[in-house]
Amino acid sequence: MAKVTVDGKVVEVPNDANALEACRAAGVDVPHFCYHPRLSIVGQCRMCMVEVEGVPKIQASCTVPVRDGMVIKASTEKALAARNATMEFLLINHPLDCPICDQAGECKLQDNAVGAGLPVSRTSEPRRQFPGYDRTPIGPHVIADMTRCIQCTRCIRFCEEITGTGELTFVERGGHTFVWTHEGRALDNDLSACAADVCPVGALTTKEFRFRKRVWWLDKTRSVCDGCEIGCNMSIEHRDRIVYRTLPRVQPAVNDFWMCDYGRFRAEDLNRQDFLKPEIRVAGSDARKQTNWGEALDVVKIAIDRARNEEKNIASKGRVLVLGSARLTTEENWLLKTLFEDSLKVGTPEFVVDKGPKRRIKNKVDGWIYGTEAAPNSRGCEAAGLKRNRPGDGSALDLLLSKKSFSSSSPAVLYIADAAFTERANDLEFVLLLRQASVLIVHARVKNALTDAADIVLPSAPLSGKEGTFVNAKGRVQRVDTAIMSPPVVRTDLEILLHLGGRWDLLDTRWTARDVFENMQASVAGYEGLAWDSDAVVGNPPSISPAAAYDVLGLERDPDVEVFSRPSVAAPDRRS
Amino acid sequence: MSGLAPIEPVLLSRRGKPDSASIETYLEDGGYASWKKVLGGAKSGEWTPAKVTDLVKASGLRGRGGAGFPCGMKWTFVPPKEKRGDKPVYLLCNADESEPGTFKDRLLMEMDPHQVLEGMMLASFALDVKHAYLYIRGEMVHVAELLNKAVADAYAKGFLGKDVLGSGRNLDITIHRGAGAYICGEETALIESLEGKRGHPRIKPPFPAVSGVWECPTVVNNVETLCCVKHILDRGPEWFKSIGRNEKNTGPKLYCISGHVEKPGVYEAPLGVSWNTLLAMAGGVKGGRKLKAVIPGGPSAAMLTAKEVENLPMDFDGVAAAKSMLGSAAIIVMDETTDIPKAVTSIAKFFAHESCGQCTPCREGTPWMHKMLKRIVNGEGKKTDLDLLLQIAGQMGNGMTICVFADAAIAPVLSGITKFREEFEAYVAKSNHPDFALAAPEDLTNKVADRTAAGIHS
Repeated sequence: MAKVTVDGKVVEVPNDANALEACRAAGVDVPHFCYHPRLSIVGQCRMCMVEVEGVPKIQASCTVPVRDGMVIKASTEKALAARNATMEFLLINHPLDCPICDQAGECKLQDNAVGAGLPVSRTSEPRRQFPGYDRTPIGPHVIADMTRCIQCTRCIRFCEEITGTGELTFVERGGHTFVWTHEGRALDNDLSACAADVCPVGALTTKEFRFRKRVWWLDKTRSVCDGCEIGCNMSIEHRDRIVYRTLPRVQPAVNDFWMCDYGRFRAEDLNRQDFLKPEIRVAGSDARKQTNWGEALDVVKIAIDRARNEEKNIASKGRVLVLGSARLTTEENWLLKTLFEDSLKVGTPEFVVDKGPKRRIKNKVDGWIYGTEAAPNSRGCEAAGLKRNRPGDGSALDLLLSKKSFSSSSPAVLYIADAAFTERANDLEFVLLLRQASVLIVHARVKNALTDAADIVLPSAPLSGKEGTFVNAKGRVQRVDTAIMSPPVVRTDLEILLHLGGRWDLLDTRWTARDVFENMQASVAGYEGLAWDSDAVVGNPPSISPAAAYDVLGLERDPDVEVFSRPSVAAPDRRS
Repeated sequence: MSGLAPIEPVLLSRRGKPDSASIETYLEDGGYASWKKVLGGAKSGEWTPAKVTDLVKASGLRGRGGAGFPCGMKWTFVPPKEKRGDKPVYLLCNADESEPGTFKDRLLMEMDPHQVLEGMMLASFALDVKHAYLYIRGEMVHVAELLNKAVADAYAKGFLGKDVLGSGRNLDITIHRGAGAYICGEETALIESLEGKRGHPRIKPPFPAVSGVWECPTVVNNVETLCCVKHILDRGPEWFKSIGRNEKNTGPKLYCISGHVEKPGVYEAPLGVSWNTLLAMAGGVKGGRKLKAVIPGGPSAAMLTAKEVENLPMDFDGVAAAKSMLGSAAIIVMDETTDIPKAVTSIAKFFAHESCGQCTPCREGTPWMHKMLKRIVNGEGKKTDLDLLLQIAGQMGNGMTICVFADAAIAPVLSGITKFREEFEAYVAKSNHPDFALAAPEDLTNKVADRTAAGIHS
């Protein structure tokens, strides 16, 4: 560690830190554009100018490695004048159309113009244009507008250093320099939208979110991506019960600053809610009717009780088969197990995990980490005591799926806590196998072949509408929070299970996810000693701007306090 | 004998000889003698790299590329073998001569390529280099071809390659053509370019001597510097020191004189020769007109008025004392007919065109200055423009950028406007900018200053 003095305040920072990081550690905000904690230092935006004692010339603080005893003067007149100068240079050619720029509100140029800009413009020259290079898609997700570019090269370095794909480059030189893809290439890699995240201005934006909502109207809620078992921390950004986008939430141990395009653009799907009310099959008909929760849960209870009684009579196992899901939280899966196995004694719930395409994300600790499952929580399911289905293992589900059991030994009740637990839920042959059960009960949000075949459909909330925890590939317990309340009548899977248990007086319907978490801790491996509210479980708060590169070097800093700080000089009274 | 007495051409001694670029004539004139001498004495220990370095240090040779950094000292910055481990040392000969008004290196390479190669060989010996590169400006296609032939001839004669002249040492020289960017003359940009990247200057430290091309210790020397090394080895450091104005400015120097003189061209004179002598060598100001201004070291150097340049010793320290720089000694002479604002505009255009685009102040500032200057000379200047230009220039240099390009770009603007302000004001006075039709234009400059004083935006 090196002891560094910043504006009179002494801080200790790691030896490999630079002066900019030392300033941030000392709580002195030095505005910057090209610096990013995970990208190489290029020192070319010249925004983070500070004075260093003993060095005659002004220095870009990100390019100055700290050394013990260094004295940094970040707020001298000379340093502030230098930043003013850089701001002025950046703004002489930048369009002044913030009201119609999609980056407005989370734009570092805007922020820094408030903190370090001049109050007036001194230029009267025509502004630079990039005909043919504005508002153009450069890949499947990213739209580039070079009139807004400030040439910080964060996106170029991201593609070179993080994804290693190197699609982007500088073209031309001098004042005509702009960023574009290499001849004949597209910005098409599995993390491409992160290039738009690191862009401090509106030069790169994502097609999916562009012009859909002003960012200052979005509420941000902590969540975890459910695309695969890596469990990238993300924030769900929503307003008026609509999810507009998801952004990576910094988590150095998992996804760092990044998130893959697949996970990011699942946001759209979170708004889908095909089932708004419970539905039960009309006796002797192919149709289902909508009903209320009271009737629906009563019917479920009757069906299960009948099967249990049968079971006692004919002493055959597996008359009630319960399927959990690796797409549900550990709390929900644990409730399934508690209710059906421990209390109702109908056997261990099973779960199926689809192999998905290989997903990957990079962090500084592990390098690339990979996800191969199409669900976020198979480890949580196992920890909760569910049985992972493996073809040929002779389990009840295996028998059902092996087509050998078109007989009286088929389950009387098949209870599926997530109708989309596998891709094959849309496969009619597969559904037919499941349909061998006399009564098919599913929790569902999205219509598929399985819900079409079900007798009872219980409407459940999407990821954005629930809270609970997932266990990721590294065994890390991570919490998701409720971003939006689902429409009335739609319930989270947790609530459905609690109320179902309540029908037998087996579960306390007043429980929240937190209560479940605390009750299951003792019996679930990996949850011992964790607190629902602990930082480890909750993760970092959403950042104010996706381009915000707040410090993650282990230096004490509240990431919510962001960007610029104005010197404490009172503004003159403008009323006089 | 005064160090400033006229000298027999040394660097240019073979200029004008028939077929001077061929290896045969070079050998006839005693070429490669030092190379043979040094390699011949290498085995016996008579000649060691340290000895060559010491000779160059003793000669007081300062880099001829522009900065005038002592060449021998630069060589000693390369970490010794114990420190650098397995990393090879590279020598780069900087032949990316792009400063407007500079044409001495091209002449050396065209007229006497083997002189350059021998200089490179000797420097490679001193630095324990196995592979040296000559980075030549992209536009000089024919010179590159000539050099390639010279290198091939040197290989054929055994001056290059494996086990050179039986000394057990290997040396390869590669000629690398740039793609035509002024900035690649900056040594770290040259290194980037040689590595196949965009010519962007690097952040220093680390300096090239520690981590240069392919992160290996690298020495970058100018063509003329390396030619001087050959002659120092030929004739000894004492001879070299006997030429020149003083201890710190020694040796023969090539001056590229262009502009309003009777006989523009490359002139060889002792370093530190007085301006008047130099002007006389070039035949005086064209048509006997009066001298108005001189750019002593290419457009990156501040221009000097006729009065300032009078009797000025034309060496690194002499010109620096006049608040300009000798640079590559690209002397551009401007007589009384010269329109300084137009000259400054032309120079500003050059710098706006050549900025690499990396650092904000330079990328945005150079075109801004050019746009304003163009507007002024096109008769649309504003009263506030001149002060604004000075202020913009004032906030571009002095550490605001990674390399000194911005400092170079502002020098002609600052010196032009401060020294010839009345000419700029004359343009502004004739201006038909629409602002002049209005009432007194708002002086934003002052407004900014007022607000700065009030601490509003700072």
